[in-house]
Amino acid sequence: MDLVQQLLYMLQGISTTLLISIFSFLLGLTIGLPLAFIRTYERGFAVFVDAFEKVFRGIPELVLMLLFYRGVGLFLAFPFGDAFFTATFVLGLRSAANQSQIFKGAIRGVGEEQMVAARSLGLSRLQSILRVMIPQVFIFSTPGLGSEYALLVKDSSYAFVIGVPVIMEQADRIRKATYDPVIPYIVAAILYILLTFPLATWLDTWGSRKKKQLGL
Amino acid sequence: MAEIVMECKNLWKTYGKIIAVKDVSFQIREGEIKLVFGPSGSGKSTFLRCLAMLTIPDKGDVYLRDQCLTKPSVDLNKARAKIGFVFQHIWLFRHLTALGNVELSLRRVLKMPKDEAREKAMEALRLVKMEDWAKHYPAQMSGGQQQRVGIARALARNPNIILLDEPTSALDPELTGEVIDTLRDLARMGTTMLIVSHEMPFAREVADEMIFYDEGAIVETGPPELFFTNPESERAKKFMARLIKKTKRE
Repeated sequence: MDLVQQLLYMLQGISTTLLISIFSFLLGLTIGLPLAFIRTYERGFAVFVDAFEKVFRGIPELVLMLLFYRGVGLFLAFPFGDAFFTATFVLGLRSAANQSQIFKGAIRGVGEEQMVAARSLGLSRLQSILRVMIPQVFIFSTPGLGSEYALLVKDSSYAFVIGVPVIMEQADRIRKATYDPVIPYIVAAILYILLTFPLATWLDTWGSRKKKQLGL
Repeated sequence: MAEIVMECKNLWKTYGKIIAVKDVSFQIREGEIKLVFGPSGSGKSTFLRCLAMLTIPDKGDVYLRDQCLTKPSVDLNKARAKIGFVFQHIWLFRHLTALGNVELSLRRVLKMPKDEAREKAMEALRLVKMEDWAKHYPAQMSGGQQQRVGIARALARNPNIILLDEPTSALDPELTGEVIDTLRDLARMGTTMLIVSHEMPFAREVADEMIFYDEGAIVETGPPELFFTNPESERAKKFMARLIKKTKRE
């Protein structure tokens, strides 16, 4: 395996890692944000939301991925026969459980008062959530969302056990081809840091500045 | 006599053992200014919130003009759009500018087109003398300025009545004056207002009626002069004496 080919391998690894991280982050956001509001405002559903969070935060990603890919995939080849989909799906649900917790804290931080003030104007509950709560909830959640994204980039490496060409998988393939047990992993480590650190830090800084500016 | 704008009949609200509103009946007519005062923790805020249906009363009825708000079929969002509410701790939307705060209900509740809403909101900000601060965020304003924006937010959509829950009591003493001035302007315009406040000179000046509220109930009502000279109930007498002493000390 020549250097150009190794480079191409790694490039594919980077793009796959980014795609899994971004899609699972968005899936987590789409499920986690409504869950947090349901948890806060519909007490009757709290048990279900809590159960969902416990299950997906409690089971190791590795177990979930193998369970869905090998187990569920056996019966439901579509869509769980697809390793990329399964990895994104599993990490997305896990992230939904985490993000639900992050947003729940942020909703508490923004405060019930903002909701009361919004309702006093005649805004419906949904309008109040969309126009008043969510913009502030996001600012409150930036540090948590930054580390959640970093977590996803790192945890996407687990997808290598089901053969998804993430950075980890590619590094392993290069190691097998070149018999070099050190350099491929070091390159992988550096790539993971580059993919997580800047965005998480930027989000954190931006959020703190915004919070200070708005007096949140 | 002017039309009754808001009315409640035999209103009740309890929190566990605490009775915040105990069989309260009350009405206010177009253009009237009534002022509620009484010891803290007596349930004044809860009473005001029940009138705005921000807190749902346990029993009794609330009417806004001819509409009974306590009927289950009522669209409370539509009803609240016609009631202005000003909070003790202001509660401006911190992610929106002064203009954004005032505009929100015009755009999303009254569904005004953008330009019209902007114009209306600026008009309300002019009324509270905050038009130069339209582009500023709440965090950049003083407490008094924030509360004036809070008042603009409540009155921008021309509500039938404005309920004000201790609008000056969370402010530094030197900032209450500007808010009182704004309320004086509203009074001159004939705005129907129910105000919880202990600003006695202001009350004497603008209130048509004062309401002494204690332990979840209206104890005594009457013109300001009555309370300043010779209130009937013992409790009101004691409270007024304390209040006047405190005002003098300040």
